Amino acid sequence: MKDFEPVIVAFCCHYCAYTAADMAGSKRIAYPANVKIIRVPCSGKVDTIHIMKALENGADGVYVAGCLEGDCHFKNGNLRALQRVKQVQALLEEICIEPERVEMVTMSAGMGERFAKAAFEITEKIRKLGPNPSKAAMEKAKAA
Amino acid sequence: MITAERKPMEEIIASVRPYNRILLVGCNECVTVCAAGGRKEVGILSSALQMAFMQEGKTLDIKELTLERQCDPEYVEELVTVIDQADAVLSMACGCGVQEVARRYKDKPVYPALNTKFMGASERQGVWAERCQGCGDCILGLTGGICPVARCSKRLLNGPCGGSTAGKCEISQDVDCVWQLIWDRMKALGIENRYEEVMMAKDWRSSRDGGPRKIIREDLV
Amino acid sequence: MQNQNSIQTGKVLVVGGGVGGIRAALDIAESGGDAVLADNAYSIGGLMTQLDRTFPTNNCDLCTLSPHLSESGRELHIELKTMTEVTGIQGAAGAFEVTLKTRPRYIDVQKCTACGECFERFPECVRFTPGLDHRAPTCMRYPQATPWAYSVDMEKCNDPEALEKVCKMGAILPEDRAEETLIEVSAVILAPGASIFDPAHLDHFGKGTYPNVFTSLEYERILSASGPTGGILERPSDGKQPERIAWIQCVGSRGIQKGAASYCSSACCMFATKEAIVTRERFKDDIETVIFYMDMRTSGKDYELYYQRAKNEFGVRFVRCRPHSVVQNPENMNLEISYTQDEKSENITEEFDMAVLSTGFMISEETRKMAEVMGIELNPHGFAETASFTPIETSKPGIFVCGMFESPKDIPETMVQGSAAACKALSIPYRGKPAPDHKLRAPADDAAENQWDDYDEYEEFPPERDVTGETPKVGVFVCDCGYNIGGVINVPEIVDYCKTVAGVETAVAVGHGCSGESQKMMESLIKEHQLNRVVIGGCSPRTHETKFQDMVRRAGLNKYLVEIANIRDQDTWVHGDQPEIAANKAKELIRMAVSRVWLSIPLADHTLPMNKDILVVGGGVSGMTSALALADRGFKVFLAERSPRLGGMAANIRKTLEGEDVRSKVEEMIERTMNHEKIQVMAPAIIVDHAGMPGMFTTGVQSGPQMFYSSIKHGVTILATGALPNRPSEYFLNEHDAVITQLELDERIEDNPESVKNAENVVMIQCVGSRTTDNPNCSRVCCQAAVKNALRIIKINPDARVIVLYRDMRTYGFQEDYYKKAREKGVVFVRYGLEDTPVAEADGDKVNVIFKEPILGVKVSVNADILCLSTGFISDDESTEDLGFIFHLQRTDDGYFLEDHVKLRPVDLPVPGFFVAGTAHAPKNIRESIVQAQAAAGRAQTLLSQDTINLGASVAKVDGKKCAACLICVRACPYSVPYINADGYSEIDPARCHGCGICASECPAKAIQLMQFQDDQILARLDGLFERMN
Repeated sequence: MKDFEPVIVAFCCHYCAYTAADMAGSKRIAYPANVKIIRVPCSGKVDTIHIMKALENGADGVYVAGCLEGDCHFKNGNLRALQRVKQVQALLEEICIEPERVEMVTMSAGMGERFAKAAFEITEKIRKLGPNPSKAAMEKAKAA
Repeated sequence: MITAERKPMEEIIASVRPYNRILLVGCNECVTVCAAGGRKEVGILSSALQMAFMQEGKTLDIKELTLERQCDPEYVEELVTVIDQADAVLSMACGCGVQEVARRYKDKPVYPALNTKFMGASERQGVWAERCQGCGDCILGLTGGICPVARCSKRLLNGPCGGSTAGKCEISQDVDCVWQLIWDRMKALGIENRYEEVMMAKDWRSSRDGGPRKIIREDLV
Repeated sequence: MQNQNSIQTGKVLVVGGGVGGIRAALDIAESGGDAVLADNAYSIGGLMTQLDRTFPTNNCDLCTLSPHLSESGRELHIELKTMTEVTGIQGAAGAFEVTLKTRPRYIDVQKCTACGECFERFPECVRFTPGLDHRAPTCMRYPQATPWAYSVDMEKCNDPEALEKVCKMGAILPEDRAEETLIEVSAVILAPGASIFDPAHLDHFGKGTYPNVFTSLEYERILSASGPTGGILERPSDGKQPERIAWIQCVGSRGIQKGAASYCSSACCMFATKEAIVTRERFKDDIETVIFYMDMRTSGKDYELYYQRAKNEFGVRFVRCRPHSVVQNPENMNLEISYTQDEKSENITEEFDMAVLSTGFMISEETRKMAEVMGIELNPHGFAETASFTPIETSKPGIFVCGMFESPKDIPETMVQGSAAACKALSIPYRGKPAPDHKLRAPADDAAENQWDDYDEYEEFPPERDVTGETPKVGVFVCDCGYNIGGVINVPEIVDYCKTVAGVETAVAVGHGCSGESQKMMESLIKEHQLNRVVIGGCSPRTHETKFQDMVRRAGLNKYLVEIANIRDQDTWVHGDQPEIAANKAKELIRMAVSRVWLSIPLADHTLPMNKDILVVGGGVSGMTSALALADRGFKVFLAERSPRLGGMAANIRKTLEGEDVRSKVEEMIERTMNHEKIQVMAPAIIVDHAGMPGMFTTGVQSGPQMFYSSIKHGVTILATGALPNRPSEYFLNEHDAVITQLELDERIEDNPESVKNAENVVMIQCVGSRTTDNPNCSRVCCQAAVKNALRIIKINPDARVIVLYRDMRTYGFQEDYYKKAREKGVVFVRYGLEDTPVAEADGDKVNVIFKEPILGVKVSVNADILCLSTGFISDDESTEDLGFIFHLQRTDDGYFLEDHVKLRPVDLPVPGFFVAGTAHAPKNIRESIVQAQAAAGRAQTLLSQDTINLGASVAKVDGKKCAACLICVRACPYSVPYINADGYSEIDPARCHGCGICASECPAKAIQLMQFQDDQILARLDGLFERMN
């Protein structure tokens, strides 16, 4: 598993997390290229299905990045997103996939450093967890 | 509305394990409203199932479809074009829907993905509570519009038992004593005198005790 | 009620097409006015286009500026006149008649496609790049020039006939003649900028004789990817990459060399620091950087932090001294710089490979002549004469000034002045001949009857091509953005890859995609290939989506058929040192965008009528200035002030450094504000809640003695909440009567001059509570306050001994003259370092101040009658935090409001419809606060001039057939928009929908889709990403 480079999907809200990601770029703060950003207007737009489909398609980890608590541009979208992340975590546990593969993080638009830090931490965490077991099993089955 | 909730994944996985091609059918009626078996839940279950079987090195061929109502034959008929491409049907409807699909497609195994719970109302977003047991002989007119049949743990018809404490039922602090509710309501309506009227023993033949029931409306038949 | 009398404004002439002039012209055009933008050069852009990167973001200038430039080229309301100068002016404010003379370009700008054919064949007649031009020819100043056309130097052309024939477009006009035009304008804005001090005559620096000595502007050109060396840093003497580079500050400024200006050029400390940081960023430890300086004047917003980062993070060495000379070592052409320092007596000599002279700004002879033609007064330095309370008004009514010509300054300040000048120019009513088409869109209260007009107000766009039924044909255009993208990944390789991606019809590299040329190229490719979907591989959609949407609209496509893959901000900028990883990620990002755009559908924007009232929060000088500027234009203004009285901090100030009386001006302002029929003053007032969007905000205010709640409806919001005078408990402040602040001293000198008359010793300590760990930034105003008060004390009491203990004297701009005057009058300035801060001891009614004298190297004790602390500003943290929370605004770490773009949008806040003015933005003096307040009013007008608000297309839509009427959306919507309609399904009013998509993701029937972010479109991105794996 030495060469394992996880693929991580980050659903980022336009107003905070996506802006923070841009900010990290303009400050030239590096973060792992494993993280693939998908822009959504609000973290509350991220559907349970989107997270599930990302994992089903082969993501090793998924996180939803929204505004800081109480700072959501749309009042409570980030709280709704958190509930959905929890729902996915419970469901993953039921199908024997580590719930830690899915996470919710929050940050403000100016927090380029925090974006990069979150990207690092999550990438490291997923790296330790290893590949998405569904994907890994399928690859093994195909190879056999 | 009929309420339901998804079965544990383990049970669902076990039921469809023998098959490769699954027709996953949702219902756009009660179970959509109670967020158990609508299009969204169908999508989530489909994805979860897929991932569960992928871990066994197997991919399922899952066809997702949500019918307007699974308890009406005309809607269930819509499955006719796709049923042959499936080895089994996994239904996300209430028990009525599951049975209707099974009745129509006799040679196709049908499995429930939901546990049908009760007839209830939504207390608030995401919370549903039991309100009716379908006893077939409604007494709400005598009880201030609050049903002791569905909401008293012992189905008592003449006031609370000795377990009623501070308005709560003895089985749980989270359950209101329905007779407390009935009393409060009657008082508010100024009909507390009717509380004293003794209710005769209920004839349960109109309920499940009389065997499976049927309604026939001659004018509509 | 809103005003029905719209003011008739004529055209405004903007002289000078640098960033300031462009900003002014754009603001005028966006406010519905017309501008003539005249520049003597071949293309607009001014000085900024020659910079490599700008502080403090270290971004490339071209990519941030070029959208502005091509914007102004495009604007229908701006007439661009390059190679043009003003030769005469007559009339008065409201009806000027100006004569313009345009030199022949010999090229028809309309026909020229900038193909470069003429340049290739006739390189002898093309020009440019200052000081470093290795080529010579038809001239384009930089890759994104506006207008996008060459020009010919006919004198150098030997065969005009052959030249004419080379152009297939017939754009070359050998017979072109100079042209004189007479235009009638209501106001004039002068933005001619400054020229750079030429150090060639200074033999001790060797500029011009030593090949490895550069000016800072030349160094910018060398670093620039579009510069003469293509961005390669090498010594002209031997072509080697330098290992040690020195910067020498104050060349041509602060009166230290022959022919130098006496003022401070304000921006050089920052640009030298930036050049050093950029060098270190690019070359790491391969190049050592040293800056020789007198005082580091990093007093702008967060500039002090930048300075500290340069020192601590990037290892830039700062040496306080005045190097005597630069001497070339004839053997290796290295440069020896010798200097002495305060603490040491010996002469130190260091050897460098390259030296950069931080040359200051001067007013050119050309500009002086122009001023003479205009008939405006100049100050002794040749800059336009203005005053603190009328900071951009020249001596001639109707003629305004912005940018360097007002005083030396950096880009953000120039941008602020550009907007302010636009605001002032638009306030001049037109008195010339009737010209009905010059009627400005002013407030009107006719609520638009039809709320649902489709968004097609731009007549310049062709009708949209109907793409329904067509198979998607995707064109991928990849920008290199100079070094930003192209310096990290191989763009042609990415383009080749894109061609292999399923569904891609064509893929092309477009250089700077935001430049006029590239835009035209993409337009024609879209038409040529009949593309119906477009993907741009470039910068962030946050900043450039509109630009590319406009481009596809010009090509006849709906604007929602373009997707941007953010391969710059989120890729090459992040993985700059891992080109392979960056390239792979770029491919993934483009694949995701292609997959997404495949499912894009044409959408129509929704619009609503605009509320033209304004809420100004804060009733200090800034707030009142904004309120008055807008109220005078006929807009209704609500002015909410926290305290019972207007005036803010300025009400406590008596005099400016220049000696103007502040109190009477502020009183006058309060009087006018209170009595203005268009201004409703709410004081005391607090903001309690807020909702809505630009053009239709609702803000809850509690005001009046009883703090009654009222709800205000307004279209824009200006925040001018100010900062607080800092009052740290240091040096016995609040404990000892002899210890006071500069504010108190100012008041005491004015109200009770006797109290300073007998003072023998007055000691001032600078930077008390500023540039510290708790308050890391510079308070900007304290050095000038100290100089001001020191001079006033000396005037009252010539025998007084005034000692100013300072860290860096930051008397930027013309304040330097007062600093010099103070020294001449005997005020003693003694520097202290953080390692040896002054100490105070109470001594009866006096205070002993003990400090180290750096030249003597001994401790000195002074028995001070007055110890005056320069405590400066501290942000009003509590207010900005509360307001930031209510209005969803970002703040800097030290509690000031964070603007949208620190360089180019210093007045706009990131939340659309919000603007900031005064010290709520950063510490600044009255003059600067007033300019920014006028700018905020100007920026507000660009919004208020529109009659409708564009709500975009991102609204939730319900499929009634799928809807189960479950009420989940009704309950989940944060704004209570959905309801179950008479037909029994959920309905969402697009006018009220905020576009968050929460309902769409909660809907159990999947009956709701958020346009632009439909589920299949989001999932398509995942498909694009995982294509590789499956």
